[in-house]
Amino acid sequence: MPSANTTRSWSCCRDASLRFVKSAVSTRRLTRRFAGRLVVDSLDLEVPSGQIFGFLGPNAAGKTTTIRMLAGILLPSDGEGSVLGFDLYREAESIKRQIGYVAQHFGLYDNLTAAENLEFYSRVYGAADPQKRNSLMDRYGFSSYRDVLAKNLSGGFRQRLSLICALTHAPKLLFLDEPTAGVDPGVRKELWDFFYQLAETGTTLFVTTHYMEEAERCDHLAFIHHGRLIADDTPEGIKKALTGRDVFRIGCRYEPEVVTRARRLEGVEMVNQFGNTLRLVIARKRYDEMALKQALGLGERPEVSIERDQPSLEDVFVTLTSEST
Amino acid sequence: MEPAVNAAPKTRDPSWPARVFGGFVPVFRKEFIEIRRDPRLVVFIVAFPVVLLILFGYALRIQLDNVTMAVFDEDGQLPALLVKDRFHQEGYLIPVEVESLEDIRSWIDQGRARAGLHIPKDFSAKLVENEKPSLTLYIDGSLPTLALAIDNESGTIQQTDFKRTLYFSDPDEDAKEFAEDPFRLEVETLYNPDLIDVWFFLPAIIGLLIMQVGLILTSTAVVREREAGTLEQLIVTPVTRLGFVMGKVIPYALISFVDFNLVVGAGHLVFGVPVAGSDALLLFSALLYIPAIVSLGLLISTFAETQQQAIFLSVFILLPSVLLSGFIFPVEAIPVAIRPLSYLLPLTYFLEIIRGIMIKGIGFAELMIPFSALVVFTAVFTAVCVARFQKKLH
Repeated sequence: MPSANTTRSWSCCRDASLRFVKSAVSTRRLTRRFAGRLVVDSLDLEVPSGQIFGFLGPNAAGKTTTIRMLAGILLPSDGEGSVLGFDLYREAESIKRQIGYVAQHFGLYDNLTAAENLEFYSRVYGAADPQKRNSLMDRYGFSSYRDVLAKNLSGGFRQRLSLICALTHAPKLLFLDEPTAGVDPGVRKELWDFFYQLAETGTTLFVTTHYMEEAERCDHLAFIHHGRLIADDTPEGIKKALTGRDVFRIGCRYEPEVVTRARRLEGVEMVNQFGNTLRLVIARKRYDEMALKQALGLGERPEVSIERDQPSLEDVFVTLTSEST
Repeated sequence: MEPAVNAAPKTRDPSWPARVFGGFVPVFRKEFIEIRRDPRLVVFIVAFPVVLLILFGYALRIQLDNVTMAVFDEDGQLPALLVKDRFHQEGYLIPVEVESLEDIRSWIDQGRARAGLHIPKDFSAKLVENEKPSLTLYIDGSLPTLALAIDNESGTIQQTDFKRTLYFSDPDEDAKEFAEDPFRLEVETLYNPDLIDVWFFLPAIIGLLIMQVGLILTSTAVVREREAGTLEQLIVTPVTRLGFVMGKVIPYALISFVDFNLVVGAGHLVFGVPVAGSDALLLFSALLYIPAIVSLGLLISTFAETQQQAIFLSVFILLPSVLLSGFIFPVEAIPVAIRPLSYLLPLTYFLEIIRGIMIKGIGFAELMIPFSALVVFTAVFTAVCVARFQKKLH
């Protein structure tokens, strides 16, 4: 994997030819309003070619709107941007020819077979080579499913079919909007293996996901919240955002009063209970394990474990979203 | 961050209604929520039936009102005037003077008049001499309901009081009760002399069927893509708006054309309805009619977000087409207040064309106006569609 370019300097990208080579996506102050409401707010994005770029954010953060603008189907309200060197305003049709787009609910035709769907989409892109289609089907495990109606395919196979439907024209940039939502872990792993293979052939992948372990696998992450970019770095770099804080991992069941106490702790930046784990991000050196346990009212509970932990991506994102709300 | 709660799952055995009808109530309620979330469909369901009811309430009051009768009056004397006046006052036929028998024929050919009256030169003279002159009433038989109504109304000039008016008694004789009519009325039905209803209705049914097929297929086909999410997928591909629209619409136009030929053929084989005019002109008329219908279907699809809405809108246009286009009641018999709606329906013009060609056997020249109307419909519908499609994207 190429290493991520963490800087978002614009001075180096002024030269158009350089930008074309270096960045699959490049936006500056990209903005979209719907009925006066800011959905995407002054987004500066730089997606280097050949990377797997993770685009994260809570629901309704503006992810899909951003992707639609980048895919050339929605005009920005303001700002500028280019995709594969094509201008978002003037060259949307050229963008469409060069990119692939797989949404969570890809538009498969239920009453067409797998092979017919693939043929349809490849013809839409003007790629009518049946040999290439066959090899795609074989490579992605469709040899014995090619004549199955799309509506009868399992969720995993639908998602795979969506992927290859978007690949027939060998796009240089692939937008994947929650491509693994609702598929089982096995299929998820398979899909990610495909993504890596694609990235190795030089395809840029622009992926949105809510799964943190998927985010960890990206070369670069951008995190948006309320339409604004609030983090933009490699996964490792993003975790460094919590430098200067302590992360605690407390093994206890959900108890409302514990969570309430945690929220009132001095210097607390994040409280996140998930299942039998409570994670806290607190300003450094405010509490040691014992003092924290006392402060949470768990001092008399020997069965409750408490330990420091490395910051996870989720810690960072939960901290960031609670900060900016 | 909301903590996740680990609630112990309830493992009570469900009772039998829950095992059989489980989920009924939530689904039932959800369905109403969905309908409520679809305000357009609610408007369609509630408002349109009311509109149609009012509309049809008027339309169904069939009267011979404003039916034009071309009159060739060679006599011009008072008795002739009385005859025309009687037709007008009691028979509700509006007399319009024409110059010759050929004029009567051509007025009826073109649909400008539905009836004709010939009053011969010596009508008054013969009447005075008690020589029983003849009047000839021509009726357009291509519209049997109207023809029967006219035939019925023509009886008005044979009623006793009117006969008395035109009876010239011999001053030398006692006034006798006139056992005989002072004149004879000859009724000549043009085109469909036996007033066969199927000849009248079948061409209209063809027009209606083609409309139904074209309208519903086209409107739902486009909306279906929107519902399935494939339309959104296609937007991110190089497929153009026009490419999409043409690709969607032409198959249904072709289906409609095949249908047209099938029903015309079936009408001929099963009911023996002849094509009095030119077969080529009939096909040509379908080539003008189908684009008008298909573009109307496309227009519907720009208003409908679901297939339900599309079908509802299609039916909303289909029903008035049945009642207001001249399908059952001649357009002339539709009250004036409603009649403008008739002229907004493509079927109105197509019925004039298809009845003209199949029953009357008239040609292109006489049908110029309805042909042009169909072209105008197609142009207007297409233009509005293009405007609405453009608005949708951004």
